[in-house]
Amino acid sequence: MTAFPRLAACTALTLGLLAAPPVFAADLVVSAAASLTNAFKTLAGQYERAHPDTKVVLNFGASDVLMQQIVKGAPADVFASADQDAMNRAEAGKVVQPASRKDFAANQVVLVVPADSPLGIGTLRDLTRAEVKRVAYGNPSSVPVGRYTKGALEAEHLWDAVAAKGVPAQNVRQCLDYVARGEVDAGFVFATDAAIMPDKVKVAVRVPSRTPVTYPIAITAQTKQAAQADSFVQYVLSPQGQAVLSRYGFQKP
Amino acid sequence: MSMHVTIRKRIVSADRQFALDIDFDSDSRRIALFGPSGAGKSLTLRAIAGLLAPDSGRIVLNGRTLFDSEAGIDVRPQERRVAYLFQDYALFPHLTVAQNVAFGHSRGWRNPSRVALPPQAVRWIDAFGLRDIVSQYPAQISGGQKQRVALARALVAQPDIVLLDEPFSALDPALRTRMRQELRALQESLDVPMVVISHDPKDVEVLGDHVLEIRDGHIHGGGRGSRHPPVYAPQPAHAL
Amino acid sequence: MDAIWTPLLLSLKVAGWATLLNAVLGVAAAYGIARWRSAARDVVDAILTLPLVLPPTVLGYYLLVLVGRRGVFGAWLESIGITLVFTWQGAVLASTVVAFPLVLKSARAAFEGVDHQLENAARVLGVSEAGIFFRVTLPLALRGILAGVLLAFARALGEFGATLMIAGNLPGRTQTLSVAIYEAVQAGDDNTANLLVLVTSVTCVVLLVVAGRLVPPVARGVGDLYERRHFRRGPAQR
Repeated sequence: MTAFPRLAACTALTLGLLAAPPVFAADLVVSAAASLTNAFKTLAGQYERAHPDTKVVLNFGASDVLMQQIVKGAPADVFASADQDAMNRAEAGKVVQPASRKDFAANQVVLVVPADSPLGIGTLRDLTRAEVKRVAYGNPSSVPVGRYTKGALEAEHLWDAVAAKGVPAQNVRQCLDYVARGEVDAGFVFATDAAIMPDKVKVAVRVPSRTPVTYPIAITAQTKQAAQADSFVQYVLSPQGQAVLSRYGFQKP
Repeated sequence: MSMHVTIRKRIVSADRQFALDIDFDSDSRRIALFGPSGAGKSLTLRAIAGLLAPDSGRIVLNGRTLFDSEAGIDVRPQERRVAYLFQDYALFPHLTVAQNVAFGHSRGWRNPSRVALPPQAVRWIDAFGLRDIVSQYPAQISGGQKQRVALARALVAQPDIVLLDEPFSALDPALRTRMRQELRALQESLDVPMVVISHDPKDVEVLGDHVLEIRDGHIHGGGRGSRHPPVYAPQPAHAL
Repeated sequence: MDAIWTPLLLSLKVAGWATLLNAVLGVAAAYGIARWRSAARDVVDAILTLPLVLPPTVLGYYLLVLVGRRGVFGAWLESIGITLVFTWQGAVLASTVVAFPLVLKSARAAFEGVDHQLENAARVLGVSEAGIFFRVTLPLALRGILAGVLLAFARALGEFGATLMIAGNLPGRTQTLSVAIYEAVQAGDDNTANLLVLVTSVTCVVLLVVAGRLVPPVARGVGDLYERRHFRRGPAQR
């Protein structure tokens, strides 16, 4: 190949890669708690089939982190949080529309162990045994499930003992991953997360929570697509949306 | 002193091939290898020093076999007791003159000290008048001084023979003449055999008793004393 | 100011150990590769340089696969009492792997830049191969090697992705400066984040200046360096 055709081919390839992907009439950005990953992916798919002119862009992470992103100007249209605390702070930061705030699901905190764990953990108190070396939980400063966990352990005066062998995780899915890979002896996740990996983890204790584990959803203050955002929120609250959530193990709010 | 050198080596590089086919005996203490650039003089010297492994051949020095391809002998350069003076002196730039001269004296993993010099090193430093520059680095001394340092360094190791690769090529004519006489005097006083490479006929005249002419990797002729063939006889054009 | 001291000291400890390991391993590998005469050596060099081009999270993942509790070597390591995941030793492993190519490349270039004639001169003077390495090759390659080691230290100090994957974020045990900054930002604690960033930056600058002083000077001859007087360039115009 002589120089010119080569150069032309390279240029064409580069321009092709840089060309903008097809833009939909409405790109709806939904920031949702990590525990909603599987449920919301299915939900979004169904929503797009019902509304072909809208593409739902999903952004998962720890609720506090998502809230921080929105506070710092991230272009999210909808925010679905795993606890009221993160949503309260979003409201305080004036980044969500309070009128649109609604609870859409409930969950339960569980203690899981690796599926082949020989430790025989049956109560929260078992976590203080010497054979239990590492326990994972979401970082309470930024992860809702961590806050529920801390609350539950404090209620039984076990927090300090467990925190001493604690491995903080960035979000609930990372916590689940630690348990699934056997890096920790036990971890606190939501029942819905445990249900995703039945072959790798098993539920050891159903943890009663001091505060009800309810998930609120709201439209952001700076959304440019209030109508579509509201339409999505209504879909989540609708019977079809709720059916998807309950299929993944979520309870009614 | 007796020397037998047979070297056969094929060198193939990207653009050319070179065949070295050297064969000579000598009992002279002052040998000169003479010939144009690229003739194979340096390669011959390197083979004798052990820095180049011939494909086949035999190198014997004073009855000691340094290399014999048939008998499977290849003595390491460290053990040959052959001194080599490189064309650009190869002084260690990170060591002072004193440390350079004393380098071969310490065989371990540490360089010689800057201040405490072994007696052999002192002897040669004084013999070559290097006292004033012992603490200087090679980058800071002149060409003539560098050559003397290199020579002193080689002699401290008490070699059986000294090989000099174009020893005066980097010096000006006046200095060349002087160094040539100095080296001649050294040859007499020291009684260490020397092999000198040069393409300068004057060097050969003064420093060589047994002159060997090398061209294209072969010995073309040789002679003793004043009976050697006229050096630097211009070649007829068609032979080049 | 425990929130600052603990991550700072931990970062220095982890980066220090990682750099020490890399200095030894990198120099040894570079010397071996520089002297190796085979077509395979470029392949080996490329493999050893991979950590430079792979994303840190990918490296962290590979490390987990190798040394995690259920990893290839993890079970064996546990049986002899060595735990790397969620420990500062794991952080050292991550930083070492990530910064290794920096020492390797610099050291290899430095070794290849040493004049072979000098090594040959040492040989005919009777010094052993090991002696040649310590007395001629290494001193002459030292500047290049030190530059690489410095880069490796800076890289290890700032390591984040692989460290997070294998060592986690355990305050007081594996929460290095970079991870602490990350957590502060995530929690919305901008004050702590700013302070940590400032401390990290100042530490790096100070260390690099100090280290720069330690590099041995080059012996130069009189008149070796190019220098100009600030006169006019040419004759004055009328």
